[in-house]
Amino acid sequence: MLVYDQLRKNDPQLRLLALIVLLAFGVLLVGVWWVQIVSARHYQASLETQSFRSVRLPALRGKILDRQGRVLAENRPNCSIGLYLEDLRPAFDAAGGAEVRRVRAERARLLAAREAAVGRKLTKTERRPYTLSLGERTMLRTNAFYAVASNIVAQIGAGLQQPMMLDPDSFHRHYRITRFLPFPVATNLSVAQIARFEEQLHGILGADLEVQSTRIYPQGVTASHVIGYVRRDNDSTEGEQAFFSYRLPDYRGVVGIEGHFDEQLRGLAGGKSVLVNNLGYRQSETVWATPEAGRNVVLTLDLDIQRAAERALRDRQGPHVRGAVVVLDVHRGDILALVSAPAPDPNYVISGFPPEEFARWQDERLGMQRNRATQEIYQPGSIFKPLVGLAVLEAGLNPLESFLVEPDPQNPTRGAIFVGPQKFRDTVSPGKYDFRRAIAKSSNSYFITNGLRFGVANIVELAKQLHLGERYGLPTMQESAGIFPSLRRVSANWRSGDTANLCIGQGEMAVTPLQMAVMTAAFANGGKVLLPRLVQRIEAYDPTSLSPTQVFPAGQVRNHIGVNPRHLDTLRDAMLADTEDPEGTAYAAFRDFRPRSGQAAPMRVCGKTGTAQKKDLNGRLQDYITWFASFAPYEEPRYAVVVMVESGSSGGGACAPVARDIYASIQKLEAAAERAVVQNP
Amino acid sequence: MFEATLSDRQGRLDRLQIAAVVGLMLLSVAFVYSATMADDIARELAWYHQTWVRQVVWFALGTAAVVGVCLVEYHTLARWAFVAYWLTILGLVAVLIPGIGTTRGWGAMRWIDLGPLGQFQPSEFAKLGVILALAHFLSRPVDELRFPANFWKGIGLILLPFVLIMKEPDLGSAIVLLPTGLVMMFVAGTPRRYLLRLVGGVGILGALFLVDVLFAPPGWWQIKLEDYQRHRLMTYFGRDFTPPNATPEQRRRARELEDAKSYQIRQALISVGSGGFWGKGWRQGTQNSLGFLPRGAAHNDFIFSVIAEEKGFVGSVTVLTLYAVVLFTGLRIAGQARDRLGKLLAVGVVTLLFSHVFINIGMNIRLMPVTGVPLPLLSYGGSSVLGSLIAMGMLQNVYIYRKGY
Repeated sequence: MLVYDQLRKNDPQLRLLALIVLLAFGVLLVGVWWVQIVSARHYQASLETQSFRSVRLPALRGKILDRQGRVLAENRPNCSIGLYLEDLRPAFDAAGGAEVRRVRAERARLLAAREAAVGRKLTKTERRPYTLSLGERTMLRTNAFYAVASNIVAQIGAGLQQPMMLDPDSFHRHYRITRFLPFPVATNLSVAQIARFEEQLHGILGADLEVQSTRIYPQGVTASHVIGYVRRDNDSTEGEQAFFSYRLPDYRGVVGIEGHFDEQLRGLAGGKSVLVNNLGYRQSETVWATPEAGRNVVLTLDLDIQRAAERALRDRQGPHVRGAVVVLDVHRGDILALVSAPAPDPNYVISGFPPEEFARWQDERLGMQRNRATQEIYQPGSIFKPLVGLAVLEAGLNPLESFLVEPDPQNPTRGAIFVGPQKFRDTVSPGKYDFRRAIAKSSNSYFITNGLRFGVANIVELAKQLHLGERYGLPTMQESAGIFPSLRRVSANWRSGDTANLCIGQGEMAVTPLQMAVMTAAFANGGKVLLPRLVQRIEAYDPTSLSPTQVFPAGQVRNHIGVNPRHLDTLRDAMLADTEDPEGTAYAAFRDFRPRSGQAAPMRVCGKTGTAQKKDLNGRLQDYITWFASFAPYEEPRYAVVVMVESGSSGGGACAPVARDIYASIQKLEAAAERAVVQNP
Repeated sequence: MFEATLSDRQGRLDRLQIAAVVGLMLLSVAFVYSATMADDIARELAWYHQTWVRQVVWFALGTAAVVGVCLVEYHTLARWAFVAYWLTILGLVAVLIPGIGTTRGWGAMRWIDLGPLGQFQPSEFAKLGVILALAHFLSRPVDELRFPANFWKGIGLILLPFVLIMKEPDLGSAIVLLPTGLVMMFVAGTPRRYLLRLVGGVGILGALFLVDVLFAPPGWWQIKLEDYQRHRLMTYFGRDFTPPNATPEQRRRARELEDAKSYQIRQALISVGSGGFWGKGWRQGTQNSLGFLPRGAAHNDFIFSVIAEEKGFVGSVTVLTLYAVVLFTGLRIAGQARDRLGKLLAVGVVTLLFSHVFINIGMNIRLMPVTGVPLPLLSYGGSSVLGSLIAMGMLQNVYIYRKGY
């Protein structure tokens, strides 16, 4: 064999030479084996590191829609012009080369002049200032690149009829770090500008349109607490690749529906890898995971009713009102409107707040970031009396039994009651009261006396069945449980004064307006305690998609309060008297809400007003919380409306008119819907 | 006469070696194509300006040269050895004269511009001149090699072109002359004591040189080397460029410099290593197409990286095997040579090729420092191709005339 023969030659010199050659080839073979087989993975990794850049591609965020499919939150395409640096590279190189040559020639001229002046050749050290160092060369080149890019930007600016400047710092930073991505020259283009670009600048060196999406809330402040908001956040989420060289802008839901359903809304981000050359310019790119759009969340809110409720609150109480409104479907448990005022415009969170808006957003007292309807807790005051009334009726109170309200010794025109040493003032005049009159005029003495008479346990048990002091699990990340004493709590170390306070919705309890709406709805619908529903379904972004829709069932009954229907009728009659009896606390507000000739009869509304004193820790009066809890129509209740206003004048004065306006609007909307059905059967 | 030789069992030519050489040439054209066609600018050139076409032309010219060399018996060639030697020396001197020599935009004066014919690199031919002259000189009776004068004359024959090539500077081409000359002297039968002393002396000098370059503190006397040569050596031995009392800023800049200096070899290693077992496929290598392998060097000094990346371990082993065939058939020819002159010529050519192959492939896998040595027959380059093919022709010549007709 060829090799073997050479190794056993009888010529010692050639034998040695063959041996050396063989050994050397052995060394090379082992070396190649080491590099290509043993360390292959290491070098493949280095290759990827230096020649691939990964870019995270955010998915289109799902929309938030109202119950009729009207848009509450969506994405707006945001067009920008990007400069593709790899296309500019020949121009860059030409300009950079020319600049370096120019300066080099200039230096050579200076050097020649200097040498002529001293009359000899300069030494190497003397010549140093005349040579171009690597650093100087780099600087000249990058400045030339900037000049090229800046020229193109100026051309684009002229084409768009909008003067544009290229910021040197951001250009250099982009060139240094993210050369493989287009450099954003102009963002947020208007339709006119896009048209101008397409018309005049299409095909201009290296520039092209880029589309990203921006979250927008077309309704502005409407329902903004429910919707919540997003902030800019490009981070990877769980289950996603964690390392990217670059991330395109994306959002993360913080609170509200945006926050709670962030995972569904967000969709699945994708990624692409950009192949770059040794200079970091883009060579080609591959999308290895297409982003999957997020899913749409369809709410139970009715945009019309929501707007009507917001308008009613604003019209009646002014633009600075702090309050809340809940409109609930008493059978299905759907939240039709959930208002908390003041409300922020969630668009500002993305685009930036104007200064005074930012001050309001941060103001603790305004509490703009808290959802007053579900997150803030208040003492209910007299709107709690229907519950107390129902509890004592169940315990055996005869609603027709007459009760005498004693006059207040200090103010004989008003009533009062003493529980032990403690005096509870009554806003009603002294005299005879039955159940109906006590609800309509809201007598404290009547409910305190009867509450004490039949025992606090009845009230606590009924409240338990209504789930007071518990959360509903609302998908908004803005919910409070409220406070309500347990049976254990009232069985020891509990005084009659405490019971008396409880009977008039004060003392050791606090509720959210939504809890009051659910309670009121239970009185209206025959005792069903509903689980309020805010989200109807979560469906695919693309309606033609086959992916299943997640439906949240309506009319989920959590509990049944199990009271005698006769007692509920008694309560409903009494609450109707509150708006219809001239003595009723809400009579004034509903005075014009009566049948008139030539018009459809307005709904008959059952209501209860309330005013709670808000006290600080030392028991000093700080503020009044005014309420109106109601449902309608009296005959066949469908809606429950609860209105709460902080610092209001009284429940009847501040809140009842708001509810009245809302009912009027609902009725108009119902009539319009009916007409629409008649016209397009 | 012709009929007799043709029917000879061994034939007139060493077919195995020719097959290996043809194999290398085919690989060369394929991968010079792959290495240069990745560049957009190169792709748009007219076909007759394409690098791979030029390589084919050089191969054609080289083959003609081989035929030419084979037509004249090597004894006749050897008679002209000293003329060839001094002509190449003249070329080496000429290349150092500004106006005749050109740097081609690189740092070293290695080329003579022949106008439209392109440039030619005299050092490639000087290597052959040395082999021819040395073989002629050493083929005298063995007894005469015992005289120290003849020993020193031999050394002088090697050192003169060595110094001139170092002057260009072209460290790689100069260095391959040393093993070539040394092995030829050894095979010729120069007394062992001379050679041992020589190797020992050169070894000590080399060690001192390296120690000085790598470890001498600033201010000490240092051997004058070009900065890039010093840096290459430091890179190879993994030395820090910074003086011990450097500021952090200096250190940072030194590290950047070191990164820049070790860039080529790092990229070559990534190319070779990322090829894996099967490679990425012809023209599929990204290291070259994305420009990580220096564009100017991928098709010549780093052609092995391109082959290794695109054809993987399989490709590397193929290349090694082809070279092994060429070298071992060369050794066989040396063994079958008619006389000492033929044997020495064959040994010289084999050692020269071997040195090139070992230094170049060793450089691509970081066994050797970066020196600009082409891979014979694979790298692009007219002078290198012509030189290598003429060398192969000399081998075949020794083989053809082995029987002494």
